[in-house]
Amino acid sequence: MKRVQLEIVLGTVFALMSVGILTVMAFDEKNRLAEFEQSQRAELIEFGAAVYEINCTSCHGSHAQGVDFVAPCLRCEELFTTRLEDIGWDGGLEDYIISVVTTGRQISTRPAEFVGGGSPAMPTWSEKLGGPLRDDQINAVAAFIMNFEEWALNPDAIPTPIEEVAAVDDPVARGFTLYNQFGCGACHTISRLSAGIVGPALNGIATRAATRVDGLSAEDYLYESIVLPSEYVVEDFLDNLMPPNFVDLLSEDQLQDLIAFLMTFEEE
Amino acid sequence: MISTLRERFNIPPRGEMRRWFFAMIDNRVRIITAGLSIKELRAIMRGDPPTEKPNPRYKVITTSFIMHLRPRYYQAASTRFTHTFRLGWFTMFFFIVETITGVILMAYYIPFPDNAYESILIIESNVFFGELMRDLHRLGAEAMVIFSWLHMFRTYFTGSYKGQRTFTWLTGVILLAFTAWLSFTGYLLTWDQLGYWAITVGTSITESGPVFGPGLNIIMRGAPDIGAGGLLRFYLQHVILFPLLAILLISVHYYKVAREHSISLPAPVEEGDMEKDEKKKHTRRIDLIPDLLTHELFLTALGILALLAILYFGWFDSPLETHANPQKTPLDTKAPWYFWWLQGMLKIDPAQIIETIMGTIGIQVELSQLLNSKFIMGLIVPPTLVFILLAIPYIDRNPSRLAKNRPFAIAWGIAWIFIMLALSYMGLPQYGIETPAATRIIQDLAPEEGLGPLREIPHEELVPGIYLLADYVAGEDLCPDLAYQPRASEGDDYTVYGCPHLSEVFAEFAERLLLAEESGELPFLHAYFLIEDFQPNVKRVVPTVNWTDPDTGQEQTYDVDFFLHEDGRREE
Repeated sequence: MKRVQLEIVLGTVFALMSVGILTVMAFDEKNRLAEFEQSQRAELIEFGAAVYEINCTSCHGSHAQGVDFVAPCLRCEELFTTRLEDIGWDGGLEDYIISVVTTGRQISTRPAEFVGGGSPAMPTWSEKLGGPLRDDQINAVAAFIMNFEEWALNPDAIPTPIEEVAAVDDPVARGFTLYNQFGCGACHTISRLSAGIVGPALNGIATRAATRVDGLSAEDYLYESIVLPSEYVVEDFLDNLMPPNFVDLLSEDQLQDLIAFLMTFEEE
Repeated sequence: MISTLRERFNIPPRGEMRRWFFAMIDNRVRIITAGLSIKELRAIMRGDPPTEKPNPRYKVITTSFIMHLRPRYYQAASTRFTHTFRLGWFTMFFFIVETITGVILMAYYIPFPDNAYESILIIESNVFFGELMRDLHRLGAEAMVIFSWLHMFRTYFTGSYKGQRTFTWLTGVILLAFTAWLSFTGYLLTWDQLGYWAITVGTSITESGPVFGPGLNIIMRGAPDIGAGGLLRFYLQHVILFPLLAILLISVHYYKVAREHSISLPAPVEEGDMEKDEKKKHTRRIDLIPDLLTHELFLTALGILALLAILYFGWFDSPLETHANPQKTPLDTKAPWYFWWLQGMLKIDPAQIIETIMGTIGIQVELSQLLNSKFIMGLIVPPTLVFILLAIPYIDRNPSRLAKNRPFAIAWGIAWIFIMLALSYMGLPQYGIETPAATRIIQDLAPEEGLGPLREIPHEELVPGIYLLADYVAGEDLCPDLAYQPRASEGDDYTVYGCPHLSEVFAEFAERLLLAEESGELPFLHAYFLIEDFQPNVKRVVPTVNWTDPDTGQEQTYDVDFFLHEDGRREE
C-alpha cells in the first residue's frame, strides 16, 4: 500500500473511532449531567454547612437546634411546614431562607419569644447590603438548611450529638464548646470569637468579675450572673435580656466548665 | 414545448445527456476544488501521479486563497518525523481546537463575578457535551503550551533559527509568550479559588515595579483587587485581543516557513558530506497534494482521537475549585504549572545570597533594603530571560547547524532545561514554605481544595464516634462491627467488613502526628477524629490536634471542620 493510501485508511479508522467514542459518550451524557447536578447540589450543601459553621452557630446553635430566647431552630418541623403560611410568603422555602439571610430582619416576627423584644432580630448578611457574605455563600446556606427537611419532619431520626467534650479532658475546652453550643456569643463579644453587642464583652472578664460585687470571688460572681442574671446588672446594660433559664439547661458540672472557660479571659 | 425548454436551458439532445451531465458535475467540482477534476481527486486518493498536464495540483495552490498559504512542497528530509516531530503542526492543531471549543464555551460563559462560577457549573451540569467542551478546551490549552515549548527546543537543538530564519524565531518566541498569556488569562475566567489567587499573585508581581508598578497593577486588575472590571479585562484579552494578535503572528510565522525558507533540512543533509545521489534522495520534493495534505488529515484524526481517548478514559479532568473568595488565601497557592519556574524564582532572594557570599569572605553588607527580591526576580529577570531568548539568533553567530560544531549551544540548551525543571520544583508550594506540623498534616489529609484521602473514604465508613490517637493501634480496624456494600459496585454484591479506608486514613494521621511528637514539634500531643451525623446524609468530620507550643508553653489546638455529603464527589 502506498503511504498516501495507508494514511487515508488509518485516518478514516481513527475518525470512525472518534465518532464511536462520541456516540458512547452521548448515550451516557444524560446520566452524567444528572449525576453532576446531584453531586453539585451535595457540594453546595457541604459548602453551606461550612458557611453555617462559621457564621450562624453563635445564634442558631451548633447543630441548627436554635438557642432559646436568641434565635429559632432551623431543623424543626415548624420551618418546613407552617412557617411560610404564618408570615404569608408566596414563594418557596429556599427562596424565603435566601431572602431572610440576605436582608436580615430588623424586628422579629415573634417578638415575644426573643430577648429585647426581638430587635434587632437578624443581621444583614449580604455583601451587597453591608453584610459579610457573597450571594453564592447565601445560596449554599439555604441549600444546607433545606437539607434538614428529613429530620425536621421526623425528629426521632436526629441522633444524639456526640459529646465533643468527652474527648477532651480539659474543663476550658469543654466550657468553650458550651459557650458555642448555648449561643453565648450572640450577645457577649469575645474578640475574634464572636461579635455580640447586647451583653457585656467577655474579654478581661476574669479580672473584672472579681471587682463587681463585694464579697464575691470572680468564680462566684460568674456563677451568680449565669444562674441569676438579674441579681446584678452591669451599668449601661438592660435587665431581663439574659435568659434566666440557664440554671435548668446547664448541669452543675457544665456550669463549672463554662466558668473555667470564662476565667481564662484575664485583663491584658 | 420540450424542445424550447431544451434550448432555453442549453440541454443537449438525448444521446449526449450522459456525457453532458458528467461534464457539468466535473465543472462544478473543478470550481469548488480550484482546478481538480473528479478523476484527479481519485488519483490523489490513490497516491497516483497527476492525470493532466500542467500539474493541476500546483494550480490549486495559486488559485485557492487557503491553499496559497501553504507551500507547494517540502524537501523529503525536512518532513522526517524524527526531525520535526510535528511539534509546530500540533501547536497549530491545538490552537484550532482552542478556537472551536472556545467559541462554543463563550455561548454559555458569563464574564461577571456574580455569574461566572455558576455559568461554569451550568456548562458542566446542564449543557449537552458541556463538560466535554470544557475538558477539551483545558486539555488543548495544556497541550498547546507543552507543544509550543517542545517546538522551541526542537528548533533550538537543530539550529533552525539561523540565517534566514532569525525573524521566524523572533515571532516564535513572541508566540510562545502569547500562548502562555492566553492560557494564564483563561485561568481567571472560572472564578474559582485556583484562578483567582493565581492571577492575584501573578499580577501582584508588577506592583513591586518602580514608578509605573502600582499603576500597571491597577490597569491589569481594573481595581486594587480583582473584581468585575478585572474579570472583564482578562476575558476580553482572552477571547479577542490575544487570539487576534496570535492569528496575526501565526500568519507571519507560518508564511515565512511556507513561502520563504521552508522547514529546515536536518543539519547533516544541509551541511554534511554526502554523496550526490544520496543528497538528491533527501532533497527530493514531497508535494503538498497529495502527500503532505493526507498526512495532515491523518494527524488531525490522530490528534482528535488522542484528545477524546484521554477524556474518555478519564485521564484528564479540568480542575474546578470552590468559588473565588477574596477574603481567604488558600493554603497552597499555586501558579499554573508552566509558571512554576517563575514562582520558584520568586523564592530566591538575591540580596541574601550576596550577603552570604560576602559574609564568607568576611565582608558584612546589608542589601535587603536596596534589592527588592520581588522586583528583581519578578520584573527584571523574567523579561531579561525573554529578551535573551529573542536574541539567541543574534548572540549565536556560529554559522554551522551541525551539533558537533556547536557544543556550547547544545550544552546551554540542556543546562537550560535542567534549570527550568529545578526552578519549577522550587516553585511547588511544598518547597521552602514552612507550614506548622499540625496544619500540614491535616492539609495533606484533606486539602482545602480538591479531594484528598479524607474525601475518598466511602460514606458508609464514616461511623459516628470519637477516634482517639491515644487508642491508636497500628493495623487495627477502627470499626470492627461494620459491614456494608459499597455503592460504586452496584450489581455485584460483595461486602466490606470494617472500615479499611477510614482506618488507613486515621493510621496515616496518627503515624505522622506521632513522628512530629517524637521530633519535638508537637509536644504533649492529644489528637482525635470526631465524626458525627450533622444532617441527613451529611457527616461532620473534625480532625483535631492539641499540643503545647514548645516556645511559649501555651496550649494550642488546630482543628478543621469537614462536611461530607453522601452524594459529594468522592473521586475524579
